[in-house]
Amino acid sequence: MLSYIAKRLAIAVPTLLLLIIISFLLMHAAPGGPFTQERALPPQVLANLEAKYGLDQPLWRQMATYVWGIVSDFDFGPSFIYKDRTVNEIIAQGFPVTLTYGSLSFVLAVAVGVTLGVFAAIWHNSWLDYLAVGISIGAQVLPNFVMAPILVLVFTLWLRWLPGGGWEGGAWQYIVMPVIALSTSFMASIARITRSSMLEVLNSNHIRTARAKGLPERKVILRHALKPAMLPVISYLGPAFVTMITGSVVVDIYFSTGGIGKSFVDSALNRDYAVMMGVTILVGALTILFNLVVDILYAWIDPKIRY
Amino acid sequence: MALLEIRDLGVSFDTNDGVVNAVNGVSLDLARGQTLGIVGESGSGKSQLAFAIMGLLAKNGHARGSVRFDGQEILNAPPAIINPIRAMKIAMVFQDPMTSLNPYMRVSDQMAEVLVHHKGMAKSEAVAECVRMLDAVKIPDAKGRVGLYPHEFSGGMRQRVMIAMSLLCRPELLIADEPTTALDVTVQAQIMALLADLQRDFGMATILITHDLGVVAGFCEEVLVLYGGQVMEKSPVDPLFGAPSHPYTRGLLRAIPRVDQHGEDLDSIPGSPPNMTRAPKGCPFAPRCDFAGEDCHDHLDPLTEFTPGRWRACNRKLEEIA
Repeated sequence: MLSYIAKRLAIAVPTLLLLIIISFLLMHAAPGGPFTQERALPPQVLANLEAKYGLDQPLWRQMATYVWGIVSDFDFGPSFIYKDRTVNEIIAQGFPVTLTYGSLSFVLAVAVGVTLGVFAAIWHNSWLDYLAVGISIGAQVLPNFVMAPILVLVFTLWLRWLPGGGWEGGAWQYIVMPVIALSTSFMASIARITRSSMLEVLNSNHIRTARAKGLPERKVILRHALKPAMLPVISYLGPAFVTMITGSVVVDIYFSTGGIGKSFVDSALNRDYAVMMGVTILVGALTILFNLVVDILYAWIDPKIRY
Repeated sequence: MALLEIRDLGVSFDTNDGVVNAVNGVSLDLARGQTLGIVGESGSGKSQLAFAIMGLLAKNGHARGSVRFDGQEILNAPPAIINPIRAMKIAMVFQDPMTSLNPYMRVSDQMAEVLVHHKGMAKSEAVAECVRMLDAVKIPDAKGRVGLYPHEFSGGMRQRVMIAMSLLCRPELLIADEPTTALDVTVQAQIMALLADLQRDFGMATILITHDLGVVAGFCEEVLVLYGGQVMEKSPVDPLFGAPSHPYTRGLLRAIPRVDQHGEDLDSIPGSPPNMTRAPKGCPFAPRCDFAGEDCHDHLDPLTEFTPGRWRACNRKLEEIA
C-alpha cells in the first residue's frame, strides 16, 4: 500500500509537468497579453514591460524559467497585473477563504445528500422518495447564480439576518450564504448517486442473506448496505471536493468573499499569466491528491481492491 | 403437530406486465427432522416458495395463505415475530455462494454477528464458535482462515461457509435453495454429502429446493413436484422414482441422462414452462402433456391421495397414463 502511494505520488510529478506545459501553451495561444489595453501603450513602453517580465524571450525559455522558479524556490512569480503582489501572496490570501467555505459546503453537501439518498432508497417509491428526488432535481437545476441572489433577497433584504457580502476573516454570518449557495447542486448530485447505488445494493443477494440472519433492517443497512453503496459516491466526492475548496467564481463575486475562484477568472480575462498558472497548478495538484485519497478509500471499503 | 404447516400458499408479483402468479395454492406439512425435496424447472416457483416462508420476497411480491412454524403464523409476519425466528429457528442456504456472502466483510465478522445478535455472545466467544462450525463443515485450517474475506475462498468453500453460517444457532429447519447449482459437479457431490451428514448429526428438518432429481434421490425422504406454482405430485422418494404418478414427473425422470442409454437421443419435455402472467385456468402442464384432454385446459382436479402417503393432481387416472 505504501509503495503504491509512493508510486502514485511519483507519477504526479510528470503529470503536473504535462499540465504546466499544456496550460502554458494554451494560455499563450490566446490572443492578447497582460499589457494589451484599450488604449495601446507606446511601443517602447510595451517592449520595456515585456522585457521586464521576460515576455520577449522565446516560449520554451519562459516555460523553463517558470518551472525552474517553482522547483528551486517554490516561487510562482509576480502577478503581471497587480504590480506589488506575487502569485504566492494572492493564493495565500484567497485560498484559505475558499478552503473554509468550500470544506463547510462539502460537509453540508455530504451530510444532507447521503442522508437524503439513503432514506429515499429505503422508502423507494414512497412520498419521501418522491420528495427527495424532487428536492434534488430542484437543487440540481437551480444554478448558483440564481441561488445566490435568492439567498440575498431572503436573508439580507427581507429577514435582515445576514450581511449581503464580505468575509471579515470568516465570521460565521459571512459564511452561511456562500456555503448554501455552493453546496446545493453538489448535495443534489450526491443524493441522486447515493439513492441509485443504495437501491442497487439493497437488491443484492448478500443483503437478502443479511435479512435472513434475522437482523433488524437498521442493522442490515448500517452494517451491510451503507459501505458498498458509498463506493460510487466516493468516486464522485474526490473531484467534487477539489472543485468546492477551490471555490466558485459566482460565490466569490456575489458575496465579495475575496476567494480564489474570482482570482482564477480575473487572471484569465486579464491574461495575468502567472496567477492563472498558479491557480491551475493548485487545482491540478489537489485533483491528483484527492484522486489518490479516493483510491485509498476504495481499497479500505472493498477488500477485493489491493494495490 | 407438524413443525411446518403450509396451507394454500400463494405468491404473486406486481410487474409492469401485470400480476405474475409464481406460487398457486401450495400446501404441505413437514415433521421435525424430516427431509423434503421440492423439485421443478426454473420458473416453477420453488425459490419464491422458500422466500415467502422466510419473509424475504422482493418488495413487489405478495404472499397469501398460511405458514405456521411450531404452531405460530409466520407468513407476512412483522419483524418482531419473524426476525427472532430467522437464523435461530429457520435458516437458509442460498443458491449462489459467490454473491450471497457479503464481499465487504470478513467471514469472521459476518458469521459472528449472527451469534452476537441472537445469543448476545461476546465477539471473541462468537468467533471461536464460528471456527468450530467451520471445522464441522470441513474447511481446512478454519482458525487461520476465519479472518479472510469471501473472495479469498473457492466457490465450494464459500458454500461451506454459507452452510456453517446457517447452522450457527442450530436451527430446527434448514431451507437449502439450490445449494449446489452454482458449483461444479465434483464439488456438488461433496456439498450434498456434507449437508446429508449435518442433517443427520443436527437432526434438523430440511427442505431442499432443486431442479436436479438426482440430488433429491440421495438426500430426501419425501418429494414435492412443483409445476407452474402448483403441486403436481407428492410422494416418498422411492416410489416416486419407481413409479411416477404424474405425466410431468415422468417427463422429468426421462430427461435425466443415463449411462446405459449410450448413443440414444436424450428425451426432453417439449415446450417450456407457462408464462405466469396469464395463469392457465386448468392444469398448467396441459399444453405440454401427452395425455391432456379438453378438460385439462379447463380445470385441474385437486391434489388427492391415491395410495397411502402418495398424492397427485391430474385429471387422468393412473392407469390412463401408463
